[in-house]
Amino acid sequence: MSGLAGSWITRHWLIATLASVALLGIIGASLGVYAGLYDVAADVPHTQPVFWLMTTARERSVAVRAKDIAVPSDLADPKRIASGAGQYAEMCSSCHLAPGMKRTEISRGLYPRAPELRRKGRLTPAEQFWVVKHGIKMTGMPAWGVTHDDEVLWDVVAFLRKLPDLSADQYQALVKSAPKTHDEMMMDMGRDNEPDGHQKEDHH
Amino acid sequence: MRNDIFIAKLVFGILALTALGSAPLNFAVAHEEHKMECNETSMNAMNADVQAMGDGEGKSTAMKEMEMAKGMMGKKDMEGCMTHMHNAMEAVEK
Repeated sequence: MSGLAGSWITRHWLIATLASVALLGIIGASLGVYAGLYDVAADVPHTQPVFWLMTTARERSVAVRAKDIAVPSDLADPKRIASGAGQYAEMCSSCHLAPGMKRTEISRGLYPRAPELRRKGRLTPAEQFWVVKHGIKMTGMPAWGVTHDDEVLWDVVAFLRKLPDLSADQYQALVKSAPKTHDEMMMDMGRDNEPDGHQKEDHH
Repeated sequence: MRNDIFIAKLVFGILALTALGSAPLNFAVAHEEHKMECNETSMNAMNADVQAMGDGEGKSTAMKEMEMAKGMMGKKDMEGCMTHMHNAMEAVEK
């Protein structure tokens, strides 16, 4: 009987201790947040543990959400790649740079740094599409899916697959060969879509 | 003939002086482009660049160079600090 009582008391002490530690942790974290202890300035990098935590959380979040995305079979289509090159030059290159391009003011000031996409990365096409479409919180990466349709974004992904193999001259040539400028493409999308996002009926 | 040699020497001398005179200017321009200074702001910016690198030899090199730069800055050796910062930058941009 006394053994049972002892075990009950031990278990309750353990629970009470853990709860107290958790409560103290929450109070401490709250006080730290309220006191503004963590520096959110973009010119002061995260500590290594925070950087690791945020990077891992981001990579896992993207991987989990992109795993069921069906990748088009024509990502190697030269038309798609050329179209993507044109969009990339207008929408992405100021942050992610391009072959032969010097770092821009915005690329030097962003934190976390926007990855230089001419370097081979680890993202799959589905993950790249997800990132381009939805953006990433607290990185400066916008959600292009809000203003661009999926086909345009897949063109960009098709180009991204090709980008690490391009020289500066090849990049420039591809951009020049883009069938439409970004403005023309946006006008086309405006013609094809109602403001609320519903497709207009085609009356041709 | 002697006059030609004198003129050639004069031209060579002027060119050499111009090159020597403009060297610090060139260095300053390159320096300004990268804003490479040994201070906390530049070190933070470089650390952010290093953080963004993919894992590999380049990142290890850059991290070591930054550690050494930090050590040099602690010892107030700004020349040494700049050298290591420059090495780190080269590793980042490789």
